[in-house]
Formats: sequence, C-alpha cells, structure tokens
Amino acid sequence: MAARWSSENVVVEFRDAQATAMSVDCLGQHAVLSGRRFLLLVNLDTPSEAPRKMGRQSKWDVGTVQWNPHKTESHVFAASSNQRVDLYSWRDGGGEVQTSLQGHTRVISDLDWSCFEPEYLVTSSVDTYIYIWDTRDTRKPTVALSAVAGASQVKWNRRNQYLLASSHDGDVRIWDRRKPNTAVEYVAAHLSKIHGLDWHPDNEYILATSSQDNSVRFWDFRQPRKYLNILSCQVPVWKARYTPFSNGLVTVMVPQLRRENSLLLWSCQDLNSPVHAFVGHDDVVLEFQWRPQKEGSKDYQLVTWSRDQTLRIWKVDNQLQKLCANNLVEDMMERMSLTTESEKILPSLDQEVATPTSVLSAAELQADQDGVVTSTKRHEPTALPQTLQQEFSLVNLQIRNVNVEMDAVNRSCVVSAVFGTNQVRLVVKFPAHYPNNAAPSFQFVSPTTIPPPMRTKIQKILTDTSLQKVKRNQNCLEPCVRQLVSCLTQEDGSDVNPYLLTNPVAPALPAFPRVTNTYGSYQDANIPFPRTSGARFCGTGCLVYFTRPITMHRSVPTTEPTPRSLSALSAYHSGVLTPLKMRTESQSTLRLYSGSPTRTDKDHVSISSFYYKERKPLQSRLRRWSVQTVHDCPKSRRFKTKREGADCANRPIKLAGKVIIQEISCLLPVHKALGEAYILNVNDIQDTCQKNAAAALLVGRRDLAKVWALSSASTSLDLSPDSEFDPDTDTPWARHPFGRHLLETLLAHYSQMSDVQTLAMLCSVFRTTQGSPQDCFSLYGQHVPLRSTQVPLHHSRYPSYTSGSVTSGSCSSTSDSITTTTWNIGRDPDHIPPWGESSPDDYRYPNQVYADPREREKELHDMNKKLLDPANTLQFDDFKKCYGEILHRWGLKEKRAEVLKFASSPPEPHKGIEFGVYCCHCRSQVRGTQCAVCKRFTFQCVICHVAVRGSSNFCLSCGHGGHTSHMMEWFRTQDECPSGCGCRCLLQSTF
Amino acid sequence: MVSVINTVDTSHEDMIHDAQMDYYGTRLATCSSDRSVKIFDVKNGGQILVADLRGHEGPVWQVAWAHPMYGNILASCSYDRKVIIWKEENNSWEKMYEYTGHESSVNSVCWGPYDFGLILACGSSDGAISLLTCSGDQQWDIKKIPNAHTIGCNAVSWAPAVVPGSLIDQPSGQKPNYIKRFVSGGCDNLVKLWKEEEGQWKEDQKLEAHSDWVRDVGWAPSIGLPTSTIASCSQDGRVFIWTCDDPSGNTWTAKLLHKFNDVVWHVSWSITGNILAVSGGDNKVTLWKESADGQWACISDVNKGQGAVSSIDGVANEQ
Repeated sequence: MAARWSSENVVVEFRDAQATAMSVDCLGQHAVLSGRRFLLLVNLDTPSEAPRKMGRQSKWDVGTVQWNPHKTESHVFAASSNQRVDLYSWRDGGGEVQTSLQGHTRVISDLDWSCFEPEYLVTSSVDTYIYIWDTRDTRKPTVALSAVAGASQVKWNRRNQYLLASSHDGDVRIWDRRKPNTAVEYVAAHLSKIHGLDWHPDNEYILATSSQDNSVRFWDFRQPRKYLNILSCQVPVWKARYTPFSNGLVTVMVPQLRRENSLLLWSCQDLNSPVHAFVGHDDVVLEFQWRPQKEGSKDYQLVTWSRDQTLRIWKVDNQLQKLCANNLVEDMMERMSLTTESEKILPSLDQEVATPTSVLSAAELQADQDGVVTSTKRHEPTALPQTLQQEFSLVNLQIRNVNVEMDAVNRSCVVSAVFGTNQVRLVVKFPAHYPNNAAPSFQFVSPTTIPPPMRTKIQKILTDTSLQKVKRNQNCLEPCVRQLVSCLTQEDGSDVNPYLLTNPVAPALPAFPRVTNTYGSYQDANIPFPRTSGARFCGTGCLVYFTRPITMHRSVPTTEPTPRSLSALSAYHSGVLTPLKMRTESQSTLRLYSGSPTRTDKDHVSISSFYYKERKPLQSRLRRWSVQTVHDCPKSRRFKTKREGADCANRPIKLAGKVIIQEISCLLPVHKALGEAYILNVNDIQDTCQKNAAAALLVGRRDLAKVWALSSASTSLDLSPDSEFDPDTDTPWARHPFGRHLLETLLAHYSQMSDVQTLAMLCSVFRTTQGSPQDCFSLYGQHVPLRSTQVPLHHSRYPSYTSGSVTSGSCSSTSDSITTTTWNIGRDPDHIPPWGESSPDDYRYPNQVYADPREREKELHDMNKKLLDPANTLQFDDFKKCYGEILHRWGLKEKRAEVLKFASSPPEPHKGIEFGVYCCHCRSQVRGTQCAVCKRFTFQCVICHVAVRGSSNFCLSCGHGGHTSHMMEWFRTQDECPSGCGCRCLLQSTF
Repeated sequence: MVSVINTVDTSHEDMIHDAQMDYYGTRLATCSSDRSVKIFDVKNGGQILVADLRGHEGPVWQVAWAHPMYGNILASCSYDRKVIIWKEENNSWEKMYEYTGHESSVNSVCWGPYDFGLILACGSSDGAISLLTCSGDQQWDIKKIPNAHTIGCNAVSWAPAVVPGSLIDQPSGQKPNYIKRFVSGGCDNLVKLWKEEEGQWKEDQKLEAHSDWVRDVGWAPSIGLPTSTIASCSQDGRVFIWTCDDPSGNTWTAKLLHKFNDVVWHVSWSITGNILAVSGGDNKVTLWKESADGQWACISDVNKGQGAVSSIDGVANEQ
C-alpha cells in the first residue's frame, strides 16, 4: 500500500505507439519505444512532450530493443526484427539505421550488449545459434555458440566479461565465449519454459531465472543441481530482474486475466511477500527498466511500458530500498560467503543465520553499499510488532466470512470461517516464546465440516507458513489466516479463482501465500484509517466541515465500525473482499488527465475504495454502464447528442464532497457587533459604560446592558478612591459588597459562560478607575516582590471568589485592625488578612521586610482601594490578550490596541530597525531627541538651525536633515542637500 | 442564527481529509487523497482557487495555518512521510521547507501558539513526534521525540500559551515565561502530555481512558481561566474531556462526553473553548456544550450533507 500511493511519478500515454519493446539509455535521458510502424524516442526528463518518431517499414514487430550501455556509444541502440538486428544511431534529435546484423536464419529471441566492451553484442535465436557480434565488423558474427536447442534468452555476465548465460526451454547454459564449442555449465533450472534470465549485478556466479512453472529460482551455477532459493508465485513469471540497489528483485507475472498486473518489488531476503506493488498499469507490463540514477539523488526510477500504451516512471525512494535490504547482517554474510572462491556449499538465501552482530564491526557496516543503512538502523529493521498483544491489535483480518476471536491473555485465538458448504473452526495456540522461532499450534475443532485429509493438508500448510515466519521472528497469524482462506477458497470451487487450477504445470511446491493476498500492509497496519469527514472551528465564528458525498456508500454494512488502520484497504485491493472495483472510473480519469504527468489516475487503491457501493463482479464494461445508469443517467443521453458530453458521461462519481462553511457566531458568547460598538474612553468612564450598555441592548444582550449600568454606577466619581484618602477614616468603596465583591461575582459568572469579551471589557473599564494605565505599570513595577509571594493559591480560581463570602463588617474591622495592630511580620497567624477573603494560613509575608510599617500599610490600602483584585492582574491580562486576539481575527485592530493598552504587561517592544543618532554636542550615542549625557537636544535642523524635537527626516547617506516640514519644503524644489555637502539626498535615500 | 455562509466545491479528485480556514477566516485550505492541497479565497461567500499545491506524493492528511504574524504559511502532512511548509510570497505559494525526517505516514501537524515563534509539531506513524522551529532565514531547527507513542502517533495539539500556573510566580510588567506544552494521541491508546524543560521535551503526563487508538486530541483555547481542558477521541467511539484545575498540571480528570457508535476522528474547540465539534466515521458532525452544572450536552446535529445545524435556537438566546 505504501508504495501504491506514493511511488508513481509520471504517467504518459502514447496511444498510437503500439510498441512491443522498450529500452532506456545509459544516460537515463531517452527511452525508445519500438512498434511495428514507428520507433518513439521519449525524453524521460520531459516525458509529456511529444516524442520524436522514426518511421520503420517492416511487417515484423520489434522483438527486443536495447541501448548500448556504454557512455561513449550511448547514442546507439539495437533492435531485433525477425532474423535481423538493426543498429540505430540517434543524434541531435534524429536517428537512422546505421547498419544491420544478418546471420540468424530464424527469429531472434533476445539480444544483449556487453557491459565490458561497447562493440560486443550477443543475439540468440530459435535457430539454435547464439552469435556474438563485434559491431565494427558486421558481416558475420565473431563467435558462434551452437546450443542445439533454440534459445529464449541470452545475457552477458555483469562481472565477468567472458561469461554469458542462455536459456533453452527449462535449461540454462553458461558459456565462456573463449570456449565456443560447448557450454561451461548446464543448469536444469525449471520444468517448463524459462521466460526471463538475469545475472546478479555483483556476484558473477549468481543468476535468477523466471519461468512458466510459477517460480523464480536463484542459482549459483557452480551448484547447478540445487537452487539457492525459490520464489513461488501462483502464476507464471515473465521476468525477474535484480534491482540496481542491494538485494531487491522486480518481477512481472504473466497475466492470466487482462486486468491483472503484477509488477512487484521483492527483497531477496524475504521472498514470502513482496515489499511493494507498483500498481497502475491497466494491462500487461511489457518491459521495465531502471533509469540510471541521477547524480546526487538517492532515489531510483523504474521505467515501465505496458500494453495499456502508457509509459510510467516510478520512484523507488530510500525507504523502499531499505526495505529490500532490511536484513543487513544476513545480507552481508551471504555476500561474504558468496564472494569467496571456495567451492563449499553456499548457505541458501532463506537460511536464517543467527550471526552475532559483534562479528561485524561498525566500519564494515558503514562500508556497505549505499551507506544509508547504518549500524543503528539495523536494529530496527521494520515496524513489525513484537508481542502477541501487539500483533493482535495490529492484525488486519477484514475478510468476509472469517471471524477471528483473539485472546491475548491465554495466548490463543479462534478462527471461524464459512466457505460455501464448508465450515471451519480453528484454534491457534501461541507458545510463550512465540514468535521467536516458536510456531503456534493449529487445531480444528467442531463444528468443522471439512474432510480429515483436507484438515491434515491445511494443517501442514499452516504449520509450514508459520514456521517460515517464526524462523525470522516474525508474526504469523495474519499470513496463516490468509493461507487458510486461500486453501478454503480453492476447495470451495474453482470458479472463484479459475486461473488457480487451470495451469497445466501445477506447482509441486507447497502453496505459498498468494501474491495478491500479501499486498501492502507492510506499514499500513499502524497508519490510522483516514478521516473522510471532519469539522473544525475556524476564525472566530465559523464552523468548517466536510463529509463524504451522499453518493458514497460504505462497502461494508454500516453496523461494522470503520476500520482502524489503512491496511484494511489492502483487502479491497487483494480481491479478498470484493473484486477490484470501479476500474471504469479510473479509465475515464486517465482519459481526462492523460498527458499531464503530475496528475495521477486513480488506478491505485484509494481510501475511496472503501466507500463504494459493493457491486456484483460483472464484466468491466457492464459495470461501467451500470455505474452510469445509476448516477449519470441523463448525461449518457447527452453523450449521443453532444460531443462534450463524452467527458461528462465518463466523469467519475464525485469523490470529494463539498466543504461547508457555517456561521455559528450566535453560539458563541462573544459578538462581533459588540466588538465594534464597544468603546473604552478612559476620560469618561461613565459615558463609556452607558454607551456600551446601549450597544449591548442593540444586540439583544440585556444581561450585559445591566452589567454596564451597574458598572456605570460603581465607577461613579463619587465613589472613586481618593489617593489622599486616609485609610483610617473610611472604608474604600472597593471593600463594599457592591464594590469588589460584586465585580468578582460578575467575572465569575462570565467566566463560566466563557464570555471573554465581557470579561476583558470589565477588566479594562475597572482598570481605568484606578488611574491611567501608565501609572499602573509603575505601581506594579514596585510591587513585584510583594505579589510574587503573597498571592494565595486559590485566588486563581474564580469559583473561590464566590465562596469566600465577604461581609462589610469584616471588611471594616479588617481596616481597623490594620491601623491598630502592631505588625509582627510573618508571625501572626491570627491576624486577619487585610484584604483577603482567603484563610490566614495562605497569607504570610515571610520575606517582606518593611522598614516602615506605614509604608506597607499604605500599599495595602492602595490595594484595597482597587475594585479589581490586583492579585489577579495576570489573569485579567489573559482575558485582555485573548479578547485582543479575537478582535484581531475580526479585523478590529484599533479596538484591539485599545484593549491591550490596559494590559499590565506591555506588548513586546518594537524590534524593527531603529535609527540612532550621535549627539551633535557630546558625540555620545543617543536614541531620541535628547542626549542622556549632556541633556541637550541631539540635533539641529539643517535649515533653521534650531534643535529638532518633533518630526524629523534625515538623509541616510550624508546624515543631514531636520524638521520634516522644512525638509519637505526644500526638496520640493531641490534635489541636493541643503547643507551644501553636495549629496543628492533624493537619489541616495528616500524621505 | 446559524447559517451556511459558503459551500465550497473543491474539485478534489479524491476524498478530502481536512479543511481549515486561516486566522481571519478569509481563506480555506483543503487537502485530499489526490495528493494536492488547495487554497481558496472564501471572502464574502465567494470561492476563488488561489493555489493548488502539488508536492506530496501520497494522500495529504492534514493542513495547518500558522499565525499570520509570520506571514501566510501553511503546513501539510502526508502519507508520503513528508511535511511540507508552504509560504505565500508575492501572491504565489511556494514550498518553504520540506521535512522528511519521518519513516512513516505523518498524520498530524499543529502550529504552536505564536508566542513561541514559528514552531510546528508533527506526529507520525513511526511513533515519533517532531518539533520544527524556524530559526529565521529558512533555517529549521529539528527536535524529535522518538517513540513518543508505540506503534504510531495520530494527533498533536498545542496548549495555549496562557499557562494557568503562571498566576503564582510570574512577575508582572514583563512577558511571562510560558512553558511550551502540547498533547498527543496515539495507537497505544494513550493521550500524552509533553512539556519542554531546558530545551528538552519530556513526557509530562500519560492519560489513560481509551480502549482503542486515540484518533485526535484537542487542547482547548484558553480565555485566561485557570482550568486546562483537553478533548480526546478514539477508535472506540468515546470522546473524553480532560480537565486540570491544578496549577502544576498534574491532576487530570476525565469525563466521558459521549460514546458514539463508530470511530470518532476529530474534535475541535470553538475559539472561546466552550463548544466542541465532534466528527467521525458516522459522517455526522455534532456540537457539544457544557451546561452550568458541568454536564456536556449535544446542542446541535449538523446533518450530513444537509448543511443545517438544527435545534440550536434558545441556546443563543439564553445569553
């Protein structure tokens, strides 16, 4: 899955190409597509550009085409056509046949350029001869190898310039071109025809063969009797080639059904399941080749050509490459042993070598091929789950008719499945060491209905499957269940998977997991299933939401919860759940967007697959029409009449719903209208309150109107604290129940409503009653130590305000006590806090030392005079800050500035560029107009020679300047500096 | 009254996974399985496609707008293991930074409060959380919390910069020294709280209540009240509201908002932090509000596809 979504980069369709062969040149610049009538040269850097065409007059298809792999000869390619090989030369955007090699008497099956000598080309033919040509002498082959049997493939060894391999039906022969008489080695590789042959890129003895007998086998030709390893597939394998990066293998299957396409990437270390499936091609993949890596790029690109007439370029990034080489220790062991010249039996590739890692030094590891995999990486090879519980939580078994009950505590699970008439109940028990080389046990229990021989067979298969996994310390539940399903489906009726049994050469091997069943799910198991609907509050009063379009239905019953992880989708791909659906749409999208490489057709499994309505597995064409009749009925009529209708009719069901933006500000406690209407006039609080009350009434907030009326009353000038007021004579208004207490009750109420607007406004208004904001700064500045120690904890909670009931009586007595009690700092537990509603315990002055008790008294009195408890200033600031943010979002920046003026912590100082000046009298550095050192004005106007205090402008070049008005006037007519320095100020700088 | 003010047809070619408006509510960013991110100008009910951002190679899961004081910046995260930060300059959107430090799908991105500078948290299926801080000049400083959630991290959400505990020992008259905190949810069924101490990210709290993967977490915006609130939702269909009154932030209590029948994918808080929007696999959106007695009640049901929020009259008037 990983790859399915991420790797395809470019899709280009060449409809008329009808090409049967493709080759990528050694520079990675061009691909040649050869058809019967044309050869198309595609520039791989700009594949969507129209390709160059070369006409070709032949009644034969091109069998094989290949660019010369040598940089010096990179413009040459060879194309076989029946019995002849044409050597083309491509220069400056044009090409022509340079020469032809004629010698074979029957059709040429394969050709290959030597990677050591640029002139050497080998061809194989059904005429039983293999010819090695030196292109400098094209009259006849330089070497002729007689094989008696016709060859299907021929390939030069990549490490040894003399060796080559050819395939003849099910055999492979290894040739040394210096000994043309007879083959060096025979390998009876397969029981049926070999379709593909590939030498290991780094090891001269190793090759891979792919065959009609549904397998890829790996050989060391020095031991021709036993293959090193085998990759079993359910279908014949067309080609299997090593990747240019370590330990990967790419295979193409011979498709049994037209739709099936199976371009897979494997790790040679783990042939049980592919690392990656390149999904996209609609038809048989005819050719795939690696594009040489660009300099500095870690990514490889795979270029593929399919009968669907599209060329695709797939990116294989680091991550994927790593997956191929994930088992580094093993890999290195294998390499080391393989490269030794000894004839000892090589460890088979699938043999698990428990190598202590200490054997390999870090340096060795670093020295490995790509340097990407470092020693630390090695220890976290995959995201595979480790414990049984983890496996259970990750296992992806969304298979119809199959139910798995997992019990991690008892280390067991019960698999129940119904297939046709067969019913199966299987108990799987996991040993304590599992999965460390300890396989689980499988037991059928009633009411299993399958016959005993079948049970034994399935048990054997399951045991084999699990053993293979646990040998690698991998979990096996999921593969086993899928294996079980696969066995049962086969048993159930061959019509489900017709191609499973129709193959004439039935594999004598134990049935390995079907390739298609093991798709994806590598890392998808822990990627959450994507959201397809969602709602977000945005801005201030908007709710943005999107849902699935109504036309999208879930393909599983709604009673089943949405799957948790993305791997659920792989079931849709594998065909376990439903046949690949909605191909029709992808085709139409392909048509709509073909030629645009950045667009991708939706031929991959997408999240949307999950939501399609399940359909009967009809013929694809029928399906297309059923789609249209359901969803596009009127449009298909237009199709007949209007040409443009074609696109319309083919348009896929809308996969993306609409995004709806809803205005929900009425649900919020804050109002934009109020934000606009509210005023904060420091000079006339009464008026401010009255106007705000009126504004609140207008928006229908009667409660707020009352609040503002109350505010107006309590901020009345008659009640305002008088700084000259002697604390001894009277209680400040703030101590009155309708003073601070009332205000706090209001704040608590609006806090609960989250009405930050009202909170911030109240805080601001009542702040002003305590003097101008600037005064407050200085005042608080002095109070820093005091506040930091004495604020009781539960002041921070509004609910506590209401609980701490304050009576006027206690207040006045408090005031009295202040005056009468002699202070005993920090040691007076019985002392009633002067302004505290809190308990005395909270209230100590451990570190405060006042030289004069009166000073402290005065301070306390100052505190008491305030309607807003100074202890909560920071919280009040937060209200204002938050409200300021909301005003900002509303675009009411001035209102925001007004509110933030009342915050006790000033906004961040401006951090832009500031100009400093040197005082013209004492040359000291000054900011502003008055020198801090000599106390004189720092500069004079160059025109009136009077010190500048107000607005001024200077030339940044010559430094002269003065009053803005004077400068404006001067430069209206002049462009030189008024000082006469000759500077053309207007040009040098901008006023 | 609640009204649909705009319906945007995104023309995405595949399903949409996230939609989010910018700070001022004038632009909409959407992302989809079709690997693209689109930006629409939605001022005054219009819809003008401003940009179609291509760069991801897999489905794009989430987008996030940065605070506008840093410019018009959008972050997107995708299945392709990349996080891309896009920036608008001279009316065109360009890739500003591409982060490829994760080894699996990146599921969530969230910008921190502007007070902390330009800082982005990313949660990935490789289990790690990355914190990308812009240190000016296109330089990004990267901190990674490896294995933050075993199996995978699904969501991240920043705490507001207003720290309740700050009331205690913050000197006034200067900028309070906020502690950077965020919450994350993952496949280990846990909600985790993280905080930065001396430049290092440390796990602060581990909240357990969900019985399946946590799909989203949302730290409620603060309006200056001392209570911290977090919402979390999960595959198990449950939505929990976590609150903490304790200024030191150590005691969190969970309250079950509701148990839905299907997975809950997303929770979102209103700007005043008193309404929660919940959406999930059932294709429905519901809005929840806490009543005076502390009970959470559903105040509306945004019907699927109908675009109507019903049964909310009276709620608005009660104020």
